[in-house]
Amino acid sequence: MKLRPTRRGRTRAVLAVLLSLAVTVVLARPADAAYAQIEGSGSTWSEVILQQWIADVDANGMKVTYNGGGSSQGRKAFGQNVTDFGITEIPYQGKDEFGNVDSAGSREFAYMPIIAGGTAFTYQLTVGGKLVKNLRLSGETIAKIFTNQITNWNDPAIKKDNNGRVFPSLKITPVLRSDGSGTTAQFTTWLDKQYPAIWRGFFGRSGLTSYFPRKGAAIAAAGSDQVMNTIASASGNGHIGYVEYSYPVNKKYPVVKVLNKAGYYVEPTQYNVAVALTRAKINQDKGSDKYLTQILDGVYSATDPRAYPLSSYSYMLLPTGAKDQRMTTAKRQTLADFMFYSLCEGQSKAGAYGYSPLPLNLVQAGFDQLKKLKTADPKVDIAGRSVTRCNNPTFVAGNLSKNKLAEVAPQPAACDKQGAGPCGGGTGTAPTSTEEASAASGDDKGTASPGTTPAAGTPGAPADAAVPGASGVVDPVTGAPQAATATGGGDVTAVPVELLAGRAGDERVFGALAAVELVALVVVPGMLAALLRKRRRNA
Amino acid sequence: MSTWVRTAEPSVDADAPRRLVGAESGADRAFVVSMRAIGTTVLLITGGIGLFLALQAWPTLRHYGLSFFTETQWEPEADVIGIGSVLVGTFSVALVALVVAFPLALLTALYISEYAPARLRGLLVSMVDLMAAVPSIIYGLWGFFVLQPHASAIAHWLHVHLGWIPFFTVEADADAAVWEQSRYTASAFVAGLAVAMMVIPMACAVMRQVFSQAPTGEREAALALGATRWGMIRSVVLPFGRGGIIGGTMLGLGRALGETIAVLLIISPAFDLKIRVLEVGTNTVSALIAGRFGEANGAQLAALLTAGFVLFVITLIINTLAAVVVARSRSGAETDA
Repeated sequence: MKLRPTRRGRTRAVLAVLLSLAVTVVLARPADAAYAQIEGSGSTWSEVILQQWIADVDANGMKVTYNGGGSSQGRKAFGQNVTDFGITEIPYQGKDEFGNVDSAGSREFAYMPIIAGGTAFTYQLTVGGKLVKNLRLSGETIAKIFTNQITNWNDPAIKKDNNGRVFPSLKITPVLRSDGSGTTAQFTTWLDKQYPAIWRGFFGRSGLTSYFPRKGAAIAAAGSDQVMNTIASASGNGHIGYVEYSYPVNKKYPVVKVLNKAGYYVEPTQYNVAVALTRAKINQDKGSDKYLTQILDGVYSATDPRAYPLSSYSYMLLPTGAKDQRMTTAKRQTLADFMFYSLCEGQSKAGAYGYSPLPLNLVQAGFDQLKKLKTADPKVDIAGRSVTRCNNPTFVAGNLSKNKLAEVAPQPAACDKQGAGPCGGGTGTAPTSTEEASAASGDDKGTASPGTTPAAGTPGAPADAAVPGASGVVDPVTGAPQAATATGGGDVTAVPVELLAGRAGDERVFGALAAVELVALVVVPGMLAALLRKRRRNA
Repeated sequence: MSTWVRTAEPSVDADAPRRLVGAESGADRAFVVSMRAIGTTVLLITGGIGLFLALQAWPTLRHYGLSFFTETQWEPEADVIGIGSVLVGTFSVALVALVVAFPLALLTALYISEYAPARLRGLLVSMVDLMAAVPSIIYGLWGFFVLQPHASAIAHWLHVHLGWIPFFTVEADADAAVWEQSRYTASAFVAGLAVAMMVIPMACAVMRQVFSQAPTGEREAALALGATRWGMIRSVVLPFGRGGIIGGTMLGLGRALGETIAVLLIISPAFDLKIRVLEVGTNTVSALIAGRFGEANGAQLAALLTAGFVLFVITLIINTLAAVVVARSRSGAETDA
């Protein structure tokens, strides 16, 4: 009985303190009153950078929550009015590949670009016990590798891409995503647009898919993490897979330099992706069901020497309906300010996470979409939130005509040009290996004879006549003639010609020895214990 | 005097249970009612899950008919869906798991209940229980990073020496100078080894409990007749515990069939109907559901739930059989043998 009044009194005191605190907070930051918590879900690909932005704007009173559950799930949740915004890598498909309805229903929305990135190809290939870190491949070679047309690392097409450098006779094992994924969708979009003959013959249909069909030697793993782990595993020699650039960077694994239309082999670094995306177009046809979605044909065929062809960006599904059942003025304001931060300052954090900042054309497109929030609700304040006041790392807010990206994005090295090099430096964040550089160039110089034109040569045919008598060497693994062995001085691009590991007699002796050791391992401790016990008893 | 011979059957009161009189107290009644309610809830929940899955499965089963069980491919886009290969994969993973787990669990249980010194016993029991407490994703990661490099070498050895058995063949050159290690990874064999680690504690706990219930009188009798410890175990403990051994193994099988995340992490999903457990690529029902669930809706979701329903029914049957066997063994009827 006695306790009650005191407890009530204490509660009251706490309440009073809280109230006064709340009042001071509200008074101190009047802008906060205009915000309300917004919720979104979708892409796991964009989740890392999005969570960083959410943490950044939290200090300004904006409360945003985000759940990564996959692009398809994000689109579904948005269409069912479960979330305020969605993030997805591919637009609504109308009907998805399984014939199910994939649309936003009656909800009005706009596609808004938020973050860019490159689909990287990472691999494990060791030569002489060392990881190859400067592999170069053309788009066509990549397409043929993933459609099982090129199955060995000593394929002439790969040799040609690497300017005559020969890799060992080793089976190629493509590693795919086994779960539905936006990365697969982006990769297959590129395949479908750029190499329709190769892709459609393999896929059996046209268009993209979120589930890469697994055939032949390919193996599949669940999630980008497991794809990366499979490639990096002890048994991963000869594996190649596609993941977001950040995975090989974090794992310190190399990525393939992909040939672009300017004839350079480039890495998916943040600036190479941004340069390519300046060629991205946005579908402005209001009648099309792909209205406001990305048209990446320009990106795939960008002629800038820095452009990485497999670049794309992910979208925010922005609710633009005036009568949207979930949206209020406060929520629209939060969304507008959150996106203003993300498109501008937020983009400068992209590189550190393995993403790429959006270039000017896409930021402008983003702001065009943000204006629709104002159209839907005139009370939303977007004054001052425009490109001219945007601190994006790829352009100068005060001077939009100044091409900052051209200054900050480094040009590719001369040795990365088609027909030159290959460069010796590593890729990803891997330390450069000068030995490989010298070795590679040594190969080039050492075989300066007419027979070594990289384009020449069919499998098995000793095109590299520069090696006298080499045609007599036969690879014990494949039985194919070893035409293209190391030639130049100091070359490490050796073909591993391994002899049998042991003789038949040895095997029997060692087998018996192993059996004896195994028995000893089980029996000796027990015998020892018994012996000790006996001795103790005697003593 | 005449002898009187009793002709009537001796009338002995037949044993009949005595009627207990006396009303149950309020507390007793409340206890009975609440216990009954809790028991019913468990039944209702399990039944509800089964009913939900059955309702979801019905349209799919009607659409595909028996081909749902025989078709090996899973291609919703082409309207070809079946769990033939997946079921075979599920059982091959479970089989590998049991082949590894059964002897280990049996010997561990025997050691703990019969041989281990008393002060070690408690520690060993809690260690085995600890194995059951480790989340399955840990076993998955362990299997992938630690076990797989070595397991693939064992798989290669099995292929080289026992490759003539269809079970141990791999579509790769066994005698290649540089063996293709990646052909021996991500297989039902590696996944089965990881699952075995999860089966062991469960099977071991059941077996150990049944062994420890072997009647002391009979144990002492066997020892008194001059049996060695092993002789006593063979003639008393093992016959008594036969039901526990079978039941524990079947409970473990139920667990192995349903194991998801560890399998998903290790295998490379493939829809091939094959018994080559050492070769890369397999799939299980639960891994299929986990891998495809995120992006599935509509017809594919229903098909996944149907696969789940099939697994539910199989696991239910196996667990019920196991429960029946275990319950029987506890009567001690087998010791007469």
